[in-house]
Order: sequence, then structure tokens, then C-alpha cells
Amino acid sequence: MGRIVLQKVSKKFGEIEVIPPLDLTIEDGEFAVFVGPSGCGKSTLLRLIAGLEDNTSGDIIIDGNTVTQVPPSKRGLAMVFQSYALYPHMTVRKNIGFPLRMEKMDQAEIDAKVNTAATSLNLTDYLDRKPGQLSGGQRQRVAIGRAIVREPLAFLFDEPLSNLDAALRVGMRMEILELHNKLKTTMIYVTHDQVEAMTMADKIVVLQAGVIEQVGSPLELYRAPRNLFVAGFIGSPKMNLITGPLAAKYGATTIGIRPEHIDVVASGGTWEGTVSVSEHLGSDTFLHVKVAGFEQVLTVRSIGDIAVKHGDKVSLSPRLGELHKFGADGLRIG
Amino acid sequence: MANRTIPRLLQTPAIVLLLFWMLVPLSMTLFFSFIRYVLASTNRPEWTSPSISNWRGFGNYQYVWNQDSFWLAIQNSLLIVCSILFLTVILGVAIAILINRTFPGRGIVRVLLISPFFVMPAVNAVLWINMLLDPVLGLQGAAVAGANDLVALLRDAPVVGSFFSLWPQFEPISFRATQTSAYAVIMMVTWQWTPFAVLILMTSLQSEDQQQKEAAILDGASRWSQFRFLTLPHLARPIAIVVMIQAIFHLSLYAEIEIVSRGNGNKNLPYYIGELVNNNIGAASATGIFAVILANIVAIFLLRMLGKTLME
Repeated sequence: MGRIVLQKVSKKFGEIEVIPPLDLTIEDGEFAVFVGPSGCGKSTLLRLIAGLEDNTSGDIIIDGNTVTQVPPSKRGLAMVFQSYALYPHMTVRKNIGFPLRMEKMDQAEIDAKVNTAATSLNLTDYLDRKPGQLSGGQRQRVAIGRAIVREPLAFLFDEPLSNLDAALRVGMRMEILELHNKLKTTMIYVTHDQVEAMTMADKIVVLQAGVIEQVGSPLELYRAPRNLFVAGFIGSPKMNLITGPLAAKYGATTIGIRPEHIDVVASGGTWEGTVSVSEHLGSDTFLHVKVAGFEQVLTVRSIGDIAVKHGDKVSLSPRLGELHKFGADGLRIG
Repeated sequence: MANRTIPRLLQTPAIVLLLFWMLVPLSMTLFFSFIRYVLASTNRPEWTSPSISNWRGFGNYQYVWNQDSFWLAIQNSLLIVCSILFLTVILGVAIAILINRTFPGRGIVRVLLISPFFVMPAVNAVLWINMLLDPVLGLQGAAVAGANDLVALLRDAPVVGSFFSLWPQFEPISFRATQTSAYAVIMMVTWQWTPFAVLILMTSLQSEDQQQKEAAILDGASRWSQFRFLTLPHLARPIAIVVMIQAIFHLSLYAEIEIVSRGNGNKNLPYYIGELVNNNIGAASATGIFAVILANIVAIFLLRMLGKTLME
């Protein structure tokens, strides 16, 4: 159904090539997340798929049909925007029903579909309000409702949660995932937040400067980042990347070790260092440790209940099995 | 209490000034409207100066109320104001949408579009009635003459000649005539005030949310549907403002009426008052009070109609 294939798709704005030709396949029913720093072209890629931008070359194939020349509304996609993009003069009911009204659907049928969508999104009490009278989370749900009623081949989400506060974001994340489990429709989700990517995705597409750095499941990316960029981008706190003679000792230009793969031991660890900052989160403690001979400060994730403070000496023992090695070209070795 | 007295004392001069500004003319008008006050009254010289002894009660009001010309003036006032509002809003929306896109020379086009607004009303009227609408010397005369010449030429042409020989001679329209002078006023004021509507509506169009439009495109809305369901509701508020401001301004049109035909056929309420004031100040004042009432009715009507849009 909603299998989306990009073949040699590229995009130029004038002379500037924001997306060099790229290939990508998103399987039917998959939850794909495009993630990358701002300006990496992830939103542009989404807009190319939606048809809001025309691709300069290549082909976009949705459900077996080449849609490169097809107008946005005929591609069978629904999009949820960062700013919600609700129609401010219409009630929630009219907002959700708008795409159906544009299809010239029967009014009774529209009402039925709107009511079903509203019930599944807990919006029944707000149907006669206008978007201005709703909270951020409710507005986002209306935007999702407007997408659902169209029964699209695929949903496109453009940073839908970035305007919500942190607590609401976690809740909406779950709601979107539940929606995906229920509808089993292809979803493409754009975000700059790697936590969202890791928690939601079946398939993560890491982008940088319009180039796909790596495609894979969250754990694939976590376990085996293909290059330094992905290594630094996926995982929180960020992976420690160490260069210099120490890396050379392991036969690499750069070695990477995740904060959770360094243990704090009583004594006799591989590295000895001084704690510069310790962040107590309750469940975990993040230690920032200065180790003699390292340029960077090491981040170490430790158990929550550890009595370490600024200036304390600690002994660190990295799990060598979890060490990532990168060559001079930034690519993974082994 | 003391800390309140001082600010109030300091406000007093401004308030007193404003009160006088409003109350003195209004109460004088009210007073004159209840007395006999006729400037050229040779038979009754005592009427030529305002005095309480010339009390007439509601006589002036009754006199004005029974004049056909008074009702004609009200009718003309409403016709002119409503027509101008209707035309400027439609033209304003159309032009604002047309120039709200990037094209070469947009800056110059915008400046040219705004420029009619900076022409003085009297100059505007003189230009239109003499240079554009004049049936002999104006553009209209030239255009009609040209069209007649063309038809005359085509009458002699082969094949189509028989068709054009059925055509009548075009007659230029005199816009100073009783039947047409109001249209001339409507045309010239519309030309002058459309830029005002364009200016306000254009700024509003620029603040329109582009993501909403994209969402509508994805929802399958045609260009017309986007205009009908997104742009037009977005413009409701600025249109309300344009209508309110223009209604206030155009109820008091004077220069154009004077220049086009001196009130022949297009006499509105201010012009009617102006004529009465030359002699019968009592009746003019009574008409003035009627005008105040009419303006208030229009204002209440507009506020009721548009208030909802403005409050949202």
C-alpha cells in the first residue's frame, strides 16, 4: 500500500543543491524518522515527498505509482505541520471535515467520519470550538484528526511536537505511536530530536547537508554507527570521541565510547580523572570527568545513587567490547 | 484621596478643552435648530440674528422633514456611500491579491497604485470630470468618437459590413446631468479610495499563514477554495476596518459634488446643509441634527454588523 520509493531524487534552489541525488525506500506500514541537525534538508525531503516542492531530478514512487508530476492533493498523503496549520476561522468539526468537504463528500458521511476521528482522539467535547480556544496538545490532535479522516496511504509529520512543552511531548509521542500501531499506515516523521527518533522509529534516516548518513533501526544505529557524524548524533548523552595517541593505540584515528559503557570503579581503572561537573538526575548521574592526557572532557553515565561531587578523583573502566573505532575518513572500522 | 485629586486636576484642562470642542458646536447647532434664524429676511429683520425670542420649537425639523429634496439628499448619500464601499472592497481585494506575488517591477507598481490616494479630492474631481469623463473634450468623448469612426470604417468593409451597418451611432454620456452625476462621483471617489483598501488588504495578505495554505493544498482545496475558505476569512477584519473608515469619510463628501454638478442630481446631505446655510440657518441646523442621527444609525448598523468580526 504505502510503500514510498525515492529514486535519485535531488533538489536545487537556484544554483544551490540542498539535496544531492539520493535513494531511499520506506516500506509499507513502516514508521520512518528523518533526523538531523537543523538545515540538513530533512524537511525539504518531506516536502518533496508531499509535493509541496518539486524535485529537480529523480522520481518519487508511492504505492507503485510514479507521482513526480502528480499534484500534492492527488498523492494520497496527509501532512501534519509544525505550526499545526489549522484553519483559524473554522470550528474543530469543520477543520477535520475540510479535506472531505473538498472531495465533495456527502455531508452525513463527513459528519460520521469526523465524529469517529474525534472520538478516537478525545476531541468530542471540543468539536464546536475554534482552534484559538484550544491548547497546544489539543490543536495538534485536531491536526492529526484532519490527517486521519482522509485515510491516506501515508502520514507525513513535520516536527509536530516541537511547539509543545516537554511533558506534553512525551504524551503526544505515545499517542502518535499508538495511532501507528492501530492504523498500520506508513508514517514519515521529521525531527531534529534524536530521542524522538530513537523512541518512535522502525527506521531512522540520519541526514546531514542533504546526504543520507545512515539508514537503520534505532538499535542498529546505536550499536554500529557508520561514521563519526551518526556516532555523535545518536545517543544521549553524546558518545565520547577521543582522538590522538590513545586512539592510535587501538589502531584508529578516533575512538568512541558511549557514556553508559564506562564504569566508575573503586580503583585500578584504565583511566584516572577528576570530576568537573556531576549531574544528578535521580535515576542516573552524568559525570563530566577530566582525564589527564585527553583533550576532551569524558562524559560518564553512572548509577543515580553515587556520592561524587566536583573535584573528586574517580577511576574509570571502559568496556572495551563496546568501543567504536573510526578511521581517518571518519568511517567506522570493523 | 489626595493622590487621586492631583492626577484628576492635571487631566482637567484636556477634558475641558475636549468638552468645549464638542459641546459648543453641538449645543449651538441644537439651539439654532429650534429658532427662526434666516439671514436674508427682509420682511422680518428680527430673524436675521439668533435670539431665544425667535423660538420655533420643532418647526425647522418639520419643515426639513417635509422637503422632498431632504429625502433625495439622504437617498443620494446612502447610494454614493454604499456604492463606493462595495466597489472599493471588491477592487481592493482583487488588486491586493494580484500584486501580492513577486514579479519584476513590483515596487514601482505598488507605488503607482497607491498614488491616487495622495491626489487632493478637488483636483481628483476636476481631473475626472474635465479630462476623463467630459463628453466632448475628455477621454470619454475621444473614445466614443474613435469607436464611431471605427464602426463607420467597418460599415464599408466587405463581409462584416452588413453586420456593422446595423450598429447605432454611439452617444457620449454627459456626467454632469441629473441622472448621471452621482455615478461620476462614485467613479472618481472609488478610483481615489481603492488604493486605501489595497494598502490595508495587502499588508493583511502578507501576514497570511503559508503553512495553512500548504495544508489546504494537501487537503485538495482548489485555488478558489483556498481563497474562499482561507484568504477571505483572513481578510474579514481588514475589510471591516476599510468599510468603517470609508463610511465615515464618504458620508461627508463635498468637493466632488460641488465640482461635478453643484449638487444637480448628486446632492448628498452635507451639500444640502451647505445650501441651506447660505440663508436659512435654522433649517440647516435641523438638517445637521438629522445628519448626526443618520451617521449614528449607520455607525450602530456597521458596528453591529462588523463588531463580531473585530472582537474575535
